[in-house]
Amino acid sequence: MDSNNDDTLDIIITNVVATFRTRCHLNLRTIALEGTNVIYKPEVGKVLMKLRKPKITASIWSSGKIICTGATSEEEAKQGARRLARCLQKIGFKVRFSAFKVVNVLAVCSMPFAIHLVDFTKKNRPIASYEPELHPAATYRIKTIKATIQVFSTGSLTVTGPNVQNVATAVEQVYPLLFECKKPLCK
Amino acid sequence: MRELFLDEGLEDCVLDDLRHLWETKMMESKAMDDFRKNNSDSPNFVLQLPPNYSRNDAEHAAPVVIPASQNIHSFPVQNNSETLATFSLPAGLSYPVQIPAGVTLQTATGQLYKTVTERIEPPVPPPASSQPTERLPREPSPVPVPTLVDSLPPLDSFSLPSQESSLPQQDPMPEYPQFEIGSEEVLTDTPQFKSSDIDDILKVVIEEEREKAARARNLAHAKFYDQPQSVLGLDLDYNYNALSDIVQLDGAADNSDLEEEDVSLEENDFLGMINAEALKALQEGGVSSDGNSSSSSSDSEEAEELDQVEDEDPLNSGDDVFEQDIPDLFDSENIIVCQYDKIHRSKNRWKFHLKDGVMSYGGRDYVFSKAIGEAEW
Repeated sequence: MDSNNDDTLDIIITNVVATFRTRCHLNLRTIALEGTNVIYKPEVGKVLMKLRKPKITASIWSSGKIICTGATSEEEAKQGARRLARCLQKIGFKVRFSAFKVVNVLAVCSMPFAIHLVDFTKKNRPIASYEPELHPAATYRIKTIKATIQVFSTGSLTVTGPNVQNVATAVEQVYPLLFECKKPLCK
Repeated sequence: MRELFLDEGLEDCVLDDLRHLWETKMMESKAMDDFRKNNSDSPNFVLQLPPNYSRNDAEHAAPVVIPASQNIHSFPVQNNSETLATFSLPAGLSYPVQIPAGVTLQTATGQLYKTVTERIEPPVPPPASSQPTERLPREPSPVPVPTLVDSLPPLDSFSLPSQESSLPQQDPMPEYPQFEIGSEEVLTDTPQFKSSDIDDILKVVIEEEREKAARARNLAHAKFYDQPQSVLGLDLDYNYNALSDIVQLDGAADNSDLEEEDVSLEENDFLGMINAEALKALQEGGVSSDGNSSSSSSDSEEAEELDQVEDEDPLNSGDDVFEQDIPDLFDSENIIVCQYDKIHRSKNRWKFHLKDGVMSYGGRDYVFSKAIGEAEW
Protein backbone atom coordinates (compact mmCIF):
# COMPACT_ATOMS: atom_id res chain seq x y z
CA MET A 1 0.00 0.00 0.00
CA ASP A 2 2.84 2.34 -0.68
CA SER A 3 2.26 4.84 -3.37
CA ASN A 4 5.79 6.04 -3.50
CA ASN A 5 8.60 5.32 -5.86
CA ASP A 6 9.07 2.32 -8.00
CA ASP A 7 9.38 -0.16 -5.25
CA THR A 8 6.38 -1.06 -3.17
CA LEU A 9 6.81 -1.73 0.44
CA ASP A 10 5.32 -4.83 1.96
CA ILE A 11 3.50 -4.07 5.12
CA ILE A 12 3.01 -7.29 6.98
CA ILE A 13 0.39 -7.32 9.69
CA THR A 14 1.63 -9.49 12.49
CA ASN A 15 -0.94 -8.98 15.19
CA VAL A 16 -4.48 -7.72 15.52
CA VAL A 17 -5.98 -7.17 18.93
CA ALA A 18 -9.72 -6.89 19.29
CA THR A 19 -12.17 -6.84 22.13
CA PHE A 20 -15.82 -7.64 22.40
CA ARG A 21 -18.39 -8.18 25.05
CA THR A 22 -20.67 -11.09 25.69
CA ARG A 23 -23.20 -9.04 27.60
CA CYS A 24 -23.44 -11.67 30.24
CA HIS A 25 -21.51 -12.70 33.24
CA LEU A 26 -19.27 -15.64 32.60
CA ASN A 27 -18.40 -18.28 35.12
CA LEU A 28 -14.71 -18.74 34.60
CA ARG A 29 -14.58 -21.99 36.44
CA THR A 30 -17.22 -23.54 34.24
CA ILE A 31 -15.39 -22.39 31.18
CA ALA A 32 -12.15 -23.75 32.52
CA LEU A 33 -13.67 -27.11 33.29
CA GLU A 34 -15.76 -27.63 30.22
CA GLY A 35 -14.02 -25.64 27.56
CA THR A 36 -11.42 -27.12 25.30
CA ASN A 37 -7.94 -25.69 25.04
CA VAL A 38 -8.31 -23.40 27.99
CA ILE A 39 -5.82 -22.13 30.50
CA TYR A 40 -7.27 -20.99 33.77
CA LYS A 41 -5.46 -18.23 35.59
CA PRO A 42 -7.30 -17.75 38.85
CA GLU A 43 -4.61 -15.48 40.24
CA VAL A 44 -5.39 -12.93 37.60
CA GLY A 45 -9.01 -13.88 37.24
CA LYS A 46 -9.17 -14.81 33.61
CA VAL A 47 -9.31 -17.76 31.30
CA LEU A 48 -7.20 -18.01 28.19
CA MET A 49 -8.74 -19.88 25.35
CA LYS A 50 -6.66 -20.67 22.34
CA LEU A 51 -8.15 -21.35 18.99
CA ARG A 52 -6.30 -23.14 16.27
CA LYS A 53 -8.15 -22.23 13.15
CA PRO A 54 -7.67 -18.56 13.27
CA LYS A 55 -4.62 -18.76 15.48
CA ILE A 56 -6.05 -16.72 18.27
CA THR A 57 -5.63 -16.43 21.98
CA ALA A 58 -8.50 -14.91 23.86
CA SER A 59 -8.50 -13.61 27.41
CA ILE A 60 -11.90 -14.11 28.91
CA TRP A 61 -12.93 -12.19 31.96
CA SER A 62 -15.81 -12.95 34.19
CA SER A 63 -17.46 -9.65 33.43
CA GLY A 64 -17.95 -10.87 29.89
CA LYS A 65 -15.23 -8.82 28.30
CA ILE A 66 -13.05 -10.75 25.94
CA ILE A 67 -9.77 -9.65 24.44
CA CYS A 68 -8.78 -11.47 21.31
CA THR A 69 -5.14 -11.45 20.19
CA GLY A 70 -3.00 -13.12 17.61
CA ALA A 71 -5.04 -12.65 14.47
CA THR A 72 -3.34 -11.61 11.28
CA SER A 73 -6.10 -9.50 9.82
CA GLU A 74 -9.13 -7.61 10.97
CA GLU A 75 -11.44 -10.00 9.26
CA GLU A 76 -9.74 -12.91 10.87
CA ALA A 77 -10.02 -11.24 14.23
CA LYS A 78 -13.73 -10.87 13.85
CA GLN A 79 -14.11 -14.40 12.64
CA GLY A 80 -12.12 -15.71 15.54
CA ALA A 81 -14.08 -13.64 17.99
CA ARG A 82 -17.36 -14.98 16.72
CA ARG A 83 -16.07 -18.49 16.85
CA LEU A 84 -15.04 -17.91 20.40
CA ALA A 85 -18.44 -16.57 21.28
CA ARG A 86 -19.92 -19.63 19.71
CA CYS A 87 -17.70 -21.77 21.90
CA LEU A 88 -18.93 -20.04 24.99
CA GLN A 89 -22.47 -20.34 23.84
CA LYS A 90 -22.01 -24.07 23.48
CA ILE A 91 -20.74 -24.29 27.00
CA GLY A 92 -24.04 -22.85 28.03
CA PHE A 93 -23.72 -19.17 28.54
CA LYS A 94 -26.21 -16.79 27.00
CA VAL A 95 -23.62 -15.07 24.92
CA ARG A 96 -24.35 -12.16 22.66
CA PHE A 97 -21.71 -10.84 20.38
CA SER A 98 -21.61 -7.15 20.91
CA ALA A 99 -19.23 -4.23 20.81
CA PHE A 100 -16.63 -5.87 18.65
CA LYS A 101 -13.79 -3.43 18.20
CA VAL A 102 -10.30 -3.81 16.83
CA VAL A 103 -8.13 -2.12 19.34
CA ASN A 104 -4.65 -2.47 17.99
CA VAL A 105 -2.92 -3.53 14.83
CA LEU A 106 0.75 -4.30 14.72
CA ALA A 107 2.58 -4.40 11.43
CA VAL A 108 6.18 -4.60 10.32
CA CYS A 109 7.73 -3.06 7.30
CA SER A 110 11.19 -2.94 5.92
CA MET A 111 12.81 -0.07 4.11
CA PRO A 112 15.26 -0.91 1.37
CA PHE A 113 17.79 1.36 2.98
CA ALA A 114 19.37 1.97 6.33
CA ILE A 115 18.48 5.02 8.30
CA HIS A 116 20.52 7.50 10.22
CA LEU A 117 18.49 7.75 13.36
CA VAL A 118 20.16 10.76 14.90
CA ASP A 119 19.54 12.83 11.79
CA PHE A 120 15.98 11.61 11.59
CA THR A 121 15.32 12.53 15.15
CA LYS A 122 16.89 15.93 14.80
CA LYS A 123 14.75 16.75 11.78
CA ASN A 124 11.54 15.65 13.41
CA ARG A 125 12.26 16.99 16.82
CA PRO A 126 9.04 16.98 18.71
CA ILE A 127 7.41 14.10 16.97
CA ALA A 128 10.29 11.65 17.00
CA SER A 129 12.22 10.60 20.06
CA TYR A 130 15.34 8.54 20.28
CA GLU A 131 17.02 7.28 23.41
CA PRO A 132 19.67 4.78 22.38
CA GLU A 133 20.42 3.79 25.94
CA LEU A 134 16.85 2.73 26.47
CA HIS A 135 15.84 1.32 23.16
CA PRO A 136 17.69 0.98 19.89
CA ALA A 137 14.85 2.40 17.82
CA ALA A 138 13.57 5.89 17.30
CA THR A 139 9.89 6.34 18.12
CA TYR A 140 7.77 8.46 15.82
CA ARG A 141 4.26 9.17 16.97
CA ILE A 142 1.67 10.54 14.61
CA LYS A 143 -1.00 12.13 16.73
CA THR A 144 -3.55 12.66 14.04
CA ILE A 145 -3.94 9.03 13.18
CA LYS A 146 -2.79 7.82 16.57
CA ALA A 147 -0.11 5.61 15.14
CA THR A 148 3.30 4.86 16.56
CA ILE A 149 6.23 3.90 14.39
CA GLN A 150 9.43 2.48 15.69
CA VAL A 151 12.31 3.08 13.33
CA PHE A 152 15.40 0.94 13.50
CA SER A 153 18.70 1.86 12.00
CA THR A 154 18.59 -1.16 9.72
CA GLY A 155 15.56 0.26 8.00
CA SER A 156 13.02 -1.99 9.65
CA LEU A 157 9.87 -0.47 10.96
CA THR A 158 7.24 -1.61 13.36
CA VAL A 159 3.98 0.25 13.20
CA THR A 160 1.13 0.09 15.65
CA GLY A 161 -2.18 1.76 15.18
CA PRO A 162 -5.87 1.40 15.88
CA ASN A 163 -6.65 -0.19 12.57
CA VAL A 164 -5.03 -1.38 9.42
CA GLN A 165 -5.86 1.69 7.42
CA ASN A 166 -4.16 3.94 9.89
CA VAL A 167 -1.10 1.79 9.84
CA ALA A 168 -0.84 2.03 6.10
CA THR A 169 -1.29 5.75 6.20
CA ALA A 170 1.40 6.07 8.81
CA VAL A 171 3.90 4.20 6.72
CA GLU A 172 3.16 6.39 3.78
CA GLN A 173 3.56 9.46 5.87
CA VAL A 174 6.86 8.49 7.32
CA TYR A 175 8.46 7.14 4.22
CA PRO A 176 9.62 10.45 2.75
CA LEU A 177 11.01 11.53 6.07
CA LEU A 178 12.99 8.38 6.33
CA PHE A 179 14.15 8.66 2.79
CA GLU A 180 15.75 11.97 3.59
CA CYS A 181 17.79 10.49 6.36
CA LYS A 182 18.83 7.36 4.74
CA LYS A 183 22.33 6.31 5.38
CA PRO A 184 24.69 6.38 2.46
CA LEU A 185 26.51 3.34 1.26
CA CYS A 186 28.45 2.77 4.41
CA LYS A 187 25.68 0.93 6.18
CA MET B 1 -4.78 -55.06 59.50
CA ARG B 2 -6.69 -57.99 60.63
CA GLU B 3 -6.11 -56.98 64.16
CA LEU B 4 -7.45 -53.54 63.46
CA PHE B 5 -10.53 -55.01 62.00
CA LEU B 6 -10.93 -57.32 64.89
CA ASP B 7 -10.56 -54.47 67.24
CA GLU B 8 -13.44 -52.75 65.66
CA GLY B 9 -15.52 -55.76 66.13
CA LEU B 10 -15.82 -56.65 62.50
CA GLU B 11 -15.50 -60.15 61.48
CA ASP B 12 -12.74 -61.66 59.58
CA CYS B 13 -14.95 -62.49 56.70
CA VAL B 14 -15.58 -58.82 56.16
CA LEU B 15 -11.95 -58.37 55.54
CA ASP B 16 -11.90 -61.32 53.25
CA ASP B 17 -14.86 -60.02 51.36
CA LEU B 18 -13.18 -56.70 50.95
CA ARG B 19 -10.14 -58.38 49.68
CA HIS B 20 -12.01 -60.42 47.16
CA LEU B 21 -13.91 -57.39 45.99
CA TRP B 22 -10.75 -55.51 45.57
CA GLU B 23 -9.10 -58.34 43.76
CA THR B 24 -11.85 -58.59 41.27
CA LYS B 25 -11.78 -54.92 40.66
CA MET B 26 -8.10 -54.89 40.16
CA MET B 27 -8.39 -57.77 37.79
CA GLU B 28 -11.03 -56.02 35.84
CA SER B 29 -8.99 -52.94 35.52
CA LYS B 30 -6.08 -55.08 34.51
CA ALA B 31 -3.94 -53.28 36.95
CA MET B 32 -0.88 -54.85 38.23
CA ASP B 33 -1.66 -56.06 41.60
CA ASP B 34 0.19 -56.81 44.64
CA PHE B 35 -1.97 -58.80 46.83
CA ARG B 36 -1.16 -58.05 50.31
CA LYS B 37 -3.76 -59.92 51.98
CA ASN B 38 -3.91 -60.46 55.56
CA ASN B 39 -4.56 -64.05 55.61
CA SER B 40 -3.72 -65.61 58.77
CA ASP B 41 -4.14 -69.03 57.40
CA SER B 42 -1.24 -71.22 57.02
CA PRO B 43 1.30 -68.82 55.69
CA ASN B 44 3.27 -70.68 53.24
CA PHE B 45 5.43 -68.96 50.85
CA VAL B 46 6.39 -70.87 47.80
CA LEU B 47 9.49 -70.10 45.94
CA GLN B 48 9.49 -71.44 42.45
CA LEU B 49 12.68 -71.40 40.61
CA PRO B 50 13.04 -71.41 36.89
CA PRO B 51 14.13 -74.61 35.37
CA ASN B 52 17.67 -73.60 34.81
CA TYR B 53 18.19 -73.44 38.42
CA SER B 54 20.45 -76.16 39.38
CA ARG B 55 21.21 -77.43 42.71
CA ASN B 56 24.27 -75.32 42.82
CA ASP B 57 22.33 -72.25 42.11
CA ALA B 58 20.02 -73.21 44.80
CA GLU B 59 22.91 -73.14 47.09
CA HIS B 60 23.70 -69.68 45.99
CA ALA B 61 20.18 -68.86 46.68
CA ALA B 62 20.50 -70.42 50.02
CA PRO B 63 21.44 -67.23 51.71
CA VAL B 64 17.91 -66.12 51.87
CA VAL B 65 18.47 -63.90 54.72
CA ILE B 66 15.87 -62.69 56.99
CA PRO B 67 17.68 -60.29 59.11
CA ALA B 68 14.74 -59.10 61.01
CA SER B 69 13.44 -62.34 62.13
CA GLN B 70 15.26 -65.12 63.62
CA ASN B 71 13.56 -67.74 61.60
CA ILE B 72 15.77 -69.59 59.35
CA HIS B 73 13.65 -71.53 57.08
CA SER B 74 14.50 -74.82 55.80
CA PHE B 75 13.76 -75.40 52.27
CA PRO B 76 11.99 -78.51 51.46
CA VAL B 77 12.85 -78.87 47.86
CA GLN B 78 10.56 -80.67 45.58
CA ASN B 79 11.16 -81.22 42.00
CA ASN B 80 8.18 -81.50 39.85
CA SER B 81 8.11 -82.93 36.44
CA GLU B 82 9.33 -79.77 34.85
CA THR B 83 12.44 -79.63 36.85
CA LEU B 84 11.32 -76.63 38.69
CA ALA B 85 12.60 -76.42 42.11
CA THR B 86 10.03 -75.43 44.55
CA PHE B 87 10.77 -74.08 47.90
CA SER B 88 8.25 -73.30 50.45
CA LEU B 89 8.97 -70.87 53.13
CA PRO B 90 7.46 -71.45 56.45
CA ALA B 91 5.06 -69.18 58.09
CA GLY B 92 5.97 -66.34 60.25
CA LEU B 93 8.02 -64.78 57.59
CA SER B 94 8.97 -61.30 58.42
CA TYR B 95 10.57 -58.98 56.08
CA PRO B 96 12.81 -58.04 54.50
CA VAL B 97 13.34 -61.19 52.62
CA GLN B 98 16.15 -61.46 50.27
CA ILE B 99 15.39 -63.48 47.26
CA PRO B 100 17.92 -64.37 44.67
CA ALA B 101 17.69 -63.25 41.15
CA GLY B 102 15.52 -64.92 38.62
CA VAL B 103 13.24 -66.44 41.12
CA THR B 104 9.56 -66.56 40.58
CA LEU B 105 7.56 -66.38 43.67
CA GLN B 106 4.16 -67.71 43.98
CA THR B 107 2.09 -66.87 46.90
CA ALA B 108 -0.38 -69.11 48.46
CA THR B 109 -3.24 -67.58 46.62
CA GLY B 110 -1.49 -68.07 43.33
CA GLN B 111 -0.01 -64.64 42.84
CA LEU B 112 3.17 -64.75 40.93
CA TYR B 113 6.12 -62.58 41.41
CA LYS B 114 9.22 -62.93 39.44
CA THR B 115 12.34 -61.29 40.63
CA VAL B 116 14.78 -59.81 38.23
CA THR B 117 18.43 -59.99 37.98
CA GLU B 118 18.67 -56.47 39.19
CA ARG B 119 17.77 -55.02 42.41
CA ILE B 120 14.11 -55.03 42.84
CA GLU B 121 11.53 -55.37 45.47
CA PRO B 122 9.00 -57.78 44.21
CA PRO B 123 5.99 -57.62 46.35
CA VAL B 124 5.95 -60.26 48.94
CA PRO B 125 2.61 -60.72 50.45
CA PRO B 126 2.20 -61.43 54.03
CA PRO B 127 1.93 -65.01 54.93
CA ALA B 128 -0.66 -66.40 52.68
CA SER B 129 -2.48 -69.57 52.78
CA SER B 130 -0.93 -72.54 51.22
CA GLN B 131 -1.58 -73.32 47.67
CA PRO B 132 -0.76 -76.13 45.38
CA THR B 133 2.50 -75.43 43.86
CA GLU B 134 1.72 -76.51 40.41
CA ARG B 135 3.46 -74.55 37.81
CA LEU B 136 2.01 -73.47 34.60
CA PRO B 137 3.59 -74.97 31.58
CA ARG B 138 4.50 -71.57 30.34
CA GLU B 139 6.31 -70.77 33.43
CA PRO B 140 9.72 -71.82 32.34
CA SER B 141 10.55 -68.73 30.46
CA PRO B 142 13.12 -67.36 32.72
CA VAL B 143 13.96 -64.68 30.28
CA PRO B 144 12.96 -61.44 31.84
CA VAL B 145 10.96 -60.12 29.00
CA PRO B 146 8.86 -57.06 29.23
CA THR B 147 6.04 -58.44 27.25
CA LEU B 148 3.23 -56.14 27.92
CA VAL B 149 5.43 -53.19 28.21
CA ASP B 150 6.80 -53.76 24.78
CA SER B 151 3.39 -54.01 23.38
CA LEU B 152 2.63 -50.54 24.52
CA PRO B 153 2.94 -48.03 21.76
CA PRO B 154 6.15 -46.13 21.93
CA LEU B 155 5.69 -43.09 24.01
CA ASP B 156 8.17 -40.88 22.41
CA SER B 157 7.21 -37.56 23.65
CA PHE B 158 5.89 -38.73 26.90
CA SER B 159 8.66 -39.99 29.07
CA LEU B 160 7.69 -41.18 32.45
CA PRO B 161 10.39 -41.81 34.88
CA SER B 162 7.66 -42.93 37.07
CA GLN B 163 7.90 -44.49 40.37
CA GLU B 164 5.87 -47.16 41.86
CA SER B 165 4.07 -45.58 44.60
CA SER B 166 2.74 -48.85 45.62
CA LEU B 167 3.79 -52.17 44.47
CA PRO B 168 0.46 -53.35 43.25
CA GLN B 169 0.38 -50.70 40.66
CA GLN B 170 1.99 -50.50 37.38
CA ASP B 171 3.98 -47.76 35.83
CA PRO B 172 4.53 -47.36 32.16
CA MET B 173 8.18 -47.13 31.40
CA PRO B 174 9.05 -46.22 27.89
CA GLU B 175 12.67 -47.26 28.07
CA TYR B 176 13.47 -50.87 28.30
CA PRO B 177 17.19 -50.94 28.44
CA GLN B 178 18.19 -54.41 29.32
CA PHE B 179 15.27 -56.59 28.74
CA GLU B 180 14.81 -56.93 25.05
CA ILE B 181 15.52 -60.57 24.95
CA GLY B 182 13.12 -62.64 22.99
CA SER B 183 10.51 -59.98 23.09
CA GLU B 184 8.96 -61.10 19.89
CA GLU B 185 8.30 -64.60 20.89
CA VAL B 186 6.84 -63.62 24.11
CA LEU B 187 4.71 -61.01 22.47
CA THR B 188 2.97 -63.75 20.69
CA ASP B 189 2.39 -65.34 23.98
CA THR B 190 0.94 -62.19 25.32
CA PRO B 191 -2.48 -62.63 23.85
CA GLN B 192 -2.51 -66.09 25.18
CA PHE B 193 -1.54 -64.73 28.48
CA LYS B 194 -4.30 -62.31 28.40
CA SER B 195 -6.82 -64.84 27.55
CA SER B 196 -5.78 -67.25 30.19
CA ASP B 197 -6.36 -67.07 33.80
CA ILE B 198 -5.39 -64.50 36.24
CA ASP B 199 -2.16 -66.09 37.18
CA ASP B 200 -0.78 -65.61 33.77
CA ILE B 201 -1.77 -62.04 33.63
CA LEU B 202 -0.15 -61.47 36.91
CA LYS B 203 2.97 -63.15 35.83
CA VAL B 204 3.36 -61.04 32.80
CA VAL B 205 2.51 -57.99 34.71
CA ILE B 206 5.03 -58.87 37.29
CA GLU B 207 7.68 -59.01 34.69
CA GLU B 208 6.87 -55.51 33.71
CA GLU B 209 6.86 -54.41 37.20
CA ARG B 210 10.24 -55.89 37.54
CA GLU B 211 11.52 -53.62 34.87
CA LYS B 212 10.02 -50.62 36.35
CA ALA B 213 11.04 -51.45 39.80
CA ALA B 214 14.54 -51.82 38.55
CA ARG B 215 14.41 -48.31 37.26
CA ALA B 216 12.31 -47.20 40.10
CA ARG B 217 15.10 -48.24 42.33
CA ASN B 218 17.09 -45.32 41.30
CA LEU B 219 14.31 -42.89 41.66
CA ALA B 220 12.62 -41.38 44.57
CA HIS B 221 11.55 -43.42 47.45
CA ALA B 222 8.53 -45.57 47.30
CA LYS B 223 5.69 -44.90 49.55
CA PHE B 224 5.70 -48.02 51.43
CA TYR B 225 9.24 -48.81 51.98
CA ASP B 226 12.52 -47.06 52.30
CA GLN B 227 15.36 -47.10 49.94
CA PRO B 228 16.11 -50.66 49.22
CA GLN B 229 19.41 -51.80 50.33
CA SER B 230 21.73 -52.40 47.52
CA VAL B 231 22.64 -55.86 48.36
CA LEU B 232 23.61 -58.43 45.94
CA GLY B 233 20.52 -60.22 44.89
CA LEU B 234 17.25 -58.81 45.89
CA ASP B 235 15.79 -57.26 48.85
CA LEU B 236 12.26 -57.24 49.89
CA ASP B 237 12.13 -54.36 52.14
CA TYR B 238 9.00 -54.07 54.07
CA ASN B 239 7.61 -53.53 57.39
CA TYR B 240 4.50 -55.27 58.24
CA ASN B 241 3.14 -51.91 59.29
CA ALA B 242 3.82 -50.61 55.87
CA LEU B 243 1.79 -53.41 54.48
CA SER B 244 -1.19 -52.49 56.49
CA ASP B 245 -0.75 -48.96 55.33
CA ILE B 246 -0.91 -50.16 51.83
CA VAL B 247 -4.25 -51.75 52.29
CA GLN B 248 -5.65 -48.67 53.90
CA LEU B 249 -4.40 -46.40 51.25
CA ASP B 250 -6.74 -47.92 48.77
CA GLY B 251 -9.75 -46.73 50.55
CA ALA B 252 -8.87 -44.01 52.95
CA ALA B 253 -6.74 -41.85 50.81
CA ASP B 254 -9.30 -41.62 48.10
CA ASN B 255 -10.20 -38.13 47.30
CA SER B 256 -13.48 -37.72 45.63
CA ASP B 257 -11.87 -35.26 43.27
CA LEU B 258 -9.56 -37.77 41.85
CA GLU B 259 -12.15 -40.22 40.72
CA GLU B 260 -11.11 -40.78 37.19
CA GLU B 261 -14.44 -41.95 35.98
CA ASP B 262 -16.11 -38.68 36.68
CA VAL B 263 -14.05 -36.70 34.31
CA SER B 264 -13.96 -37.48 30.69
CA LEU B 265 -11.35 -35.33 29.12
CA GLU B 266 -10.76 -34.80 25.52
CA GLU B 267 -7.26 -35.37 24.30
CA ASN B 268 -5.23 -33.91 21.56
CA ASP B 269 -3.69 -36.08 19.00
CA PHE B 270 -0.37 -36.03 20.73
CA LEU B 271 0.38 -38.95 22.86
CA GLY B 272 0.30 -38.22 26.45
CA MET B 273 -1.36 -34.90 26.08
CA ILE B 274 -3.38 -34.20 29.08
CA ASN B 275 -5.90 -31.56 29.26
CA ALA B 276 -3.64 -30.02 31.78
CA GLU B 277 -5.69 -26.97 32.14
CA ALA B 278 -8.75 -28.92 32.95
CA LEU B 279 -6.84 -31.02 35.38
CA LYS B 280 -5.42 -27.99 37.03
CA ALA B 281 -8.82 -26.50 37.27
CA LEU B 282 -10.00 -29.71 38.80
CA GLN B 283 -7.39 -29.50 41.46
CA GLU B 284 -7.82 -25.87 42.10
CA GLY B 285 -11.54 -26.18 42.17
CA GLY B 286 -11.47 -28.11 45.34
CA VAL B 287 -13.80 -30.76 46.43
CA SER B 288 -17.16 -29.14 46.27
CA SER B 289 -18.30 -27.53 43.12
CA ASP B 290 -19.89 -24.27 43.82
CA GLY B 291 -20.08 -23.76 40.10
CA ASN B 292 -23.69 -24.74 40.19
CA SER B 293 -24.64 -22.02 42.56
CA SER B 294 -22.71 -19.36 40.74
CA SER B 295 -24.05 -20.35 37.35
CA SER B 296 -27.57 -20.08 38.61
CA SER B 297 -26.89 -16.62 39.87
CA SER B 298 -25.34 -15.69 36.56
CA ASP B 299 -28.46 -16.96 34.82
CA SER B 300 -30.56 -14.48 36.70
CA GLU B 301 -28.20 -11.75 35.73
CA GLU B 302 -28.36 -12.78 32.14
CA ALA B 303 -32.12 -12.58 32.21
CA GLU B 304 -31.92 -8.99 33.23
CA GLU B 305 -29.36 -8.14 30.61
CA LEU B 306 -31.35 -9.75 27.91
CA ASP B 307 -34.10 -7.29 28.55
CA GLN B 308 -31.80 -4.39 27.91
CA VAL B 309 -31.52 -2.97 24.47
CA GLU B 310 -28.35 -4.02 22.85
CA ASP B 311 -26.32 -1.59 20.84
CA GLU B 312 -24.84 -3.85 18.28
CA ASP B 313 -25.54 -7.47 18.39
CA PRO B 314 -25.04 -9.14 15.10
CA LEU B 315 -24.81 -12.54 16.70
CA ASN B 316 -28.32 -13.75 16.10
CA SER B 317 -28.53 -16.39 18.71
CA GLY B 318 -25.87 -18.43 17.05
CA ASP B 319 -27.60 -18.89 13.73
CA ASP B 320 -25.15 -16.78 11.88
CA VAL B 321 -22.19 -18.06 13.67
CA PHE B 322 -20.39 -20.91 12.05
CA GLU B 323 -19.85 -24.17 13.78
CA GLN B 324 -16.45 -25.31 14.78
CA ASP B 325 -14.59 -26.46 11.79
CA ILE B 326 -12.41 -28.59 13.92
CA PRO B 327 -14.34 -30.06 16.75
CA ASP B 328 -12.59 -31.87 19.50
CA LEU B 329 -9.92 -33.82 17.82
CA PHE B 330 -10.75 -37.10 19.34
CA ASP B 331 -12.34 -38.06 22.54
CA SER B 332 -9.83 -40.63 23.53
CA GLU B 333 -10.28 -42.54 26.68
CA ASN B 334 -6.72 -41.99 27.74
CA ILE B 335 -6.94 -39.91 30.82
CA ILE B 336 -4.72 -38.87 33.63
CA VAL B 337 -5.93 -37.65 36.96
CA CYS B 338 -3.19 -36.30 39.13
CA GLN B 339 -1.75 -33.37 40.97
CA TYR B 340 0.77 -31.05 39.46
CA ASP B 341 4.06 -29.72 40.62
CA LYS B 342 4.61 -27.39 37.74
CA ILE B 343 3.03 -26.84 34.39
CA HIS B 344 4.95 -24.69 31.98
CA ARG B 345 4.15 -23.36 28.56
CA SER B 346 6.20 -21.52 25.96
CA LYS B 347 4.18 -20.55 22.97
CA ASN B 348 2.77 -23.91 22.09
CA ARG B 349 5.26 -26.11 23.89
CA TRP B 350 4.04 -27.51 27.16
CA LYS B 351 6.01 -29.17 29.91
CA PHE B 352 4.36 -31.02 32.75
CA HIS B 353 5.72 -32.00 36.10
CA LEU B 354 3.05 -34.11 37.66
CA LYS B 355 2.78 -36.13 40.79
CA ASP B 356 0.63 -38.68 42.49
CA GLY B 357 -1.60 -39.69 39.70
CA VAL B 358 -3.58 -42.47 38.18
CA MET B 359 -3.95 -42.84 34.51
CA SER B 360 -5.73 -45.03 32.07
CA TYR B 361 -3.77 -45.44 28.93
CA GLY B 362 -4.24 -47.91 26.16
CA GLY B 363 -6.88 -49.61 28.17
CA ARG B 364 -4.60 -50.24 31.06
CA ASP B 365 -4.40 -48.49 34.34
CA TYR B 366 -1.27 -47.08 35.80
CA VAL B 367 -0.30 -45.18 38.86
CA PHE B 368 2.63 -42.92 39.33
CA SER B 369 4.08 -40.77 42.01
CA LYS B 370 5.92 -38.58 39.57
CA ALA B 371 5.53 -37.98 35.91
CA ILE B 372 7.22 -35.61 33.51
CA GLY B 373 5.80 -34.91 30.12
CA GLU B 374 6.19 -32.69 27.12
CA ALA B 375 3.75 -31.94 24.43
CA GLU B 376 3.05 -29.59 21.59
CA TRP B 377 -0.29 -28.08 21.10
